[in-house]
Order: sequence, then C-alpha cells, then structure tokens
Amino acid sequence: MPVKKLRSLDEAEESCWRDPHDPLLWRQIAAVWELSRRLAPRRFPPGVHKHRSIEEANRQSERWLIPADEEG
Amino acid sequence: MEFELILKVLRALADEQVRYRIVGGVALNFWGLARATVDLDIFVAPDEANIARLRAALDAVFNDPEIDQITAGDLSGAYPAIQYVPPDGPFHIDILARLGERFTFEDIESEELEVEGVPVHVATPRMLYRMKKDTVRLQDRADADRLRKHYQLEDEEG
Repeated sequence: MPVKKLRSLDEAEESCWRDPHDPLLWRQIAAVWELSRRLAPRRFPPGVHKHRSIEEANRQSERWLIPADEEG
Repeated sequence: MEFELILKVLRALADEQVRYRIVGGVALNFWGLARATVDLDIFVAPDEANIARLRAALDAVFNDPEIDQITAGDLSGAYPAIQYVPPDGPFHIDILARLGERFTFEDIESEELEVEGVPVHVATPRMLYRMKKDTVRLQDRADADRLRKHYQLEDEEG
C-alpha cells in the first residue's frame, strides 16, 4: 500500500471520500461494514417498533447501543 | 451491517417498485464516505399501495410475519417513524414518513445511483446537509459539516 502524506486533519478526512460512481467504493463499504460487524457485533430486539417522532426512534437506537451491563 | 444483505433489501425494493429515498448513514456511504453504520434509514411515501409494496419487498427478503405490522395508517398517522429489526437482529431498518413538520417524502430531493447493478434512490448531498445541519445529534452535525466541505455546499446553503 502506498504512503500518503497529508498536510492537515481536514486533508486527511477529505482523502477518505471516493467518487460515488467508482466501483471500488462498494468494495470499500463492504469491507468497512464487515470489519465493524466482526469487531462490534450487534443484536437488536427483533420485530416492529413504532415511534411518534424521529427523535423518539433515535433515542431508542441509542439505548440499543448501550451494552446491558452499562445500563443504569 | 452486512453489505450483501442490504443489497438484497435494496434489490427487493427495486423489484417491488417501492417509492423510497435512502437517508442517514447509508446515504453518506453511497455518496462516497465509507463508514460503519447499524441501520438503513429510508423515507417512504406513506400511501396504502406503496406500504403494501414495502411489506412485500421486506417479506421477500426476511419472510417474517412481524412485517404485517408496518401499516400506512400508522406511518401517515401517529407513528411516522417505524423501526423494523429482522429475526436475527443484526441491524435495523428505520422507515420514516415525515420528519416533524419540516420534511415529508415529497420534500426529499434524490438521485438514482447504481450500486452493484441495483438502482437505488438516495437523498442528494444537499438534501442530507439540510436534514442534518440543524439537528441536536453531534454525529448528524459532524456529517453535515463533512458533506458541506466535500460537496462545497456552503455557498448554496449560506
């Protein structure tokens, strides 16, 4: 893999973007998702969960991400 | 999330001709920033026919009787945000019909991209920026900033 030298964090972040029409993007996404799935496997309660607003749904998503042993 | 499984869902949505728009983290991935996410967020047109097509698409992939609980009545009424977790529970699909008073399906500007041969409808970077920039979630505001910088949206949005 080649060495890439960057002048700032902004430049580093910008270098993470790919063209949405670049076929390599899909391979990169698949690799990132697979790595995340292996490092931090998730399991959510199966079924349909109904919410009165997106904020309520987001709060639920955040609760799901808290490991059971950290819940107060 | 498993890329192949999400692709299967998107292929089923296309096969059933569901009217939907991808927003959230998956949209950001599809616009060029590969990063981990645990959910697929989609805006849908909440009419009876479209939600019947959505149920058919999800059922084709997951074969789950729970899917029958996703109804147009709920989405266009008291429950504009429904989360569906498939039987194995490795990720969730957030199905949205409106975002407060600000956005409905009709407001979501989108483009069609082709992902591994599957046509997908993705909210445009400008739309994602508008949706994320004023929210309270730090992650959304950071994403808005990334979109603004990469797609040079500052001049358009002020």
